[in-house]
Amino acid sequence: MYSLILLNGGIGTRVGANQPKQLLKLRGIPILVYALVMANRVEKIDQIVLNYPPEWKESVEQVLEDYAISTPVTLVEAGDSRHSSVAAMLPHCTNENVIIHEAARPLVTKKNFEDLIEDQHANVSLMTPISFTVAPVDPDTREVTGSLERDQLRNVQLPQKFSKADLVDAHSQAEKDKKVFTEDATLVAVAGHPVYFIDGSDVNFKVTTPTDLRMAGFLLRPEEEDDD
Amino acid sequence: MTKTALVTGASRGIGLETVHRFIHNSEDITTVVMFARKSDDFDEAVEELRSSSPVGRKIITRYVDVGDRDSLIENLESVHEEVGNIDILVNNAGYTNPIPLQQAEIEDFEKTMNVNVYAPFLIVKTLLNKGNVFKLIVNIASTAGINGRSGWLTYSASKAAVINMSQVMREELAIYGTRVVCLSPGRTATALRRTLAPDEDPDTIMQPEHVARVIETFASPVGRFIDSENIVVRQ
Repeated sequence: MYSLILLNGGIGTRVGANQPKQLLKLRGIPILVYALVMANRVEKIDQIVLNYPPEWKESVEQVLEDYAISTPVTLVEAGDSRHSSVAAMLPHCTNENVIIHEAARPLVTKKNFEDLIEDQHANVSLMTPISFTVAPVDPDTREVTGSLERDQLRNVQLPQKFSKADLVDAHSQAEKDKKVFTEDATLVAVAGHPVYFIDGSDVNFKVTTPTDLRMAGFLLRPEEEDDD
Repeated sequence: MTKTALVTGASRGIGLETVHRFIHNSEDITTVVMFARKSDDFDEAVEELRSSSPVGRKIITRYVDVGDRDSLIENLESVHEEVGNIDILVNNAGYTNPIPLQQAEIEDFEKTMNVNVYAPFLIVKTLLNKGNVFKLIVNIASTAGINGRSGWLTYSASKAAVINMSQVMREELAIYGTRVVCLSPGRTATALRRTLAPDEDPDTIMQPEHVARVIETFASPVGRFIDSENIVVRQ
């Protein structure tokens, strides 16, 4: 069985609202609900560890009650960064295997979770090919310093799954080395534990800007709006 | 996989015919919960259903006036406790008192809204809040909700609300994979129709079983291929 670490602690300054973006409405439903309802339908997830921005605990609890999320939920206050939030949520996970997802990816599907769980490896992330060129640069001199092989790069998505022991070890190594990571697949790989990827989907994007919000709403509209 | 259905207004007309078809024709609906006000008609219908139902079918009944919110919620909670998940819900119970605008009382308008609009809303909300995942919700509206009819202000307005509410339910419940169907029957030989058109010969118009057949189709495997925004059923 799996514990889901559902990251929900962001304040969402880029989306331009006066409340956490996860509580903004997407087609009339709080964004957080989409990932919660999908995770609630995955049989192999029997615990959700959910964090919340300071001062927003009651609103998050209300969502859990209103949408009758039956999987047991452990609430943890968000840390200063995504990295510190995951570190703080890990000790609350009761299973040996964990899945990490973020509420700001509302288009995640039940199948995304199930594909991840079914993969034979312990540490796996959804990733997509990169359709554009990424250049290494020196930001101070603004000089392009070389070239990267696009085939050997991937856009890291969530959800991801890890052996809890590997993830705990990777976080403790990063703390010792005073390194901060923006996500956990590369964190665990750098710590020396093998991490693999399966193909993600371009619709499972992170809602960050007002345009993303509109795009997600467009993708979630009833299918008949595509009819002739 | 076996399914449980809840039908309101189940003592007669479209509701009773729907229960009949679920009990006798459906391969996977094994439990049917019937909500209706207490009446001899209801008791007799249930007795007849129980004596004729195939082996393995379960009929559960509750005397409920869906316009009485406290009683409605209490019965929903006890039924959910007893049968577990309600897979198919048919919001059929209806009320009307056709009165010209100048004579209509606000209390009667409120009663109409209570039965026709607030009850379906409360049933869906109460069960959702308890973690119920519906596969199919059928809301019975009316062609009078598409075009208002002179003398039927309260009824027409309430059914217009049902049509609109169904569209919202359909969008909001898509995350659970729930299908929400709104059916708008035209003239159907029901007790409610007799109130609306007392001089009409009921043999000349659509019968409740015709509407029930459409509901049965929506509840069958082929139902998911039919666009369900607002289906008009008329003769």
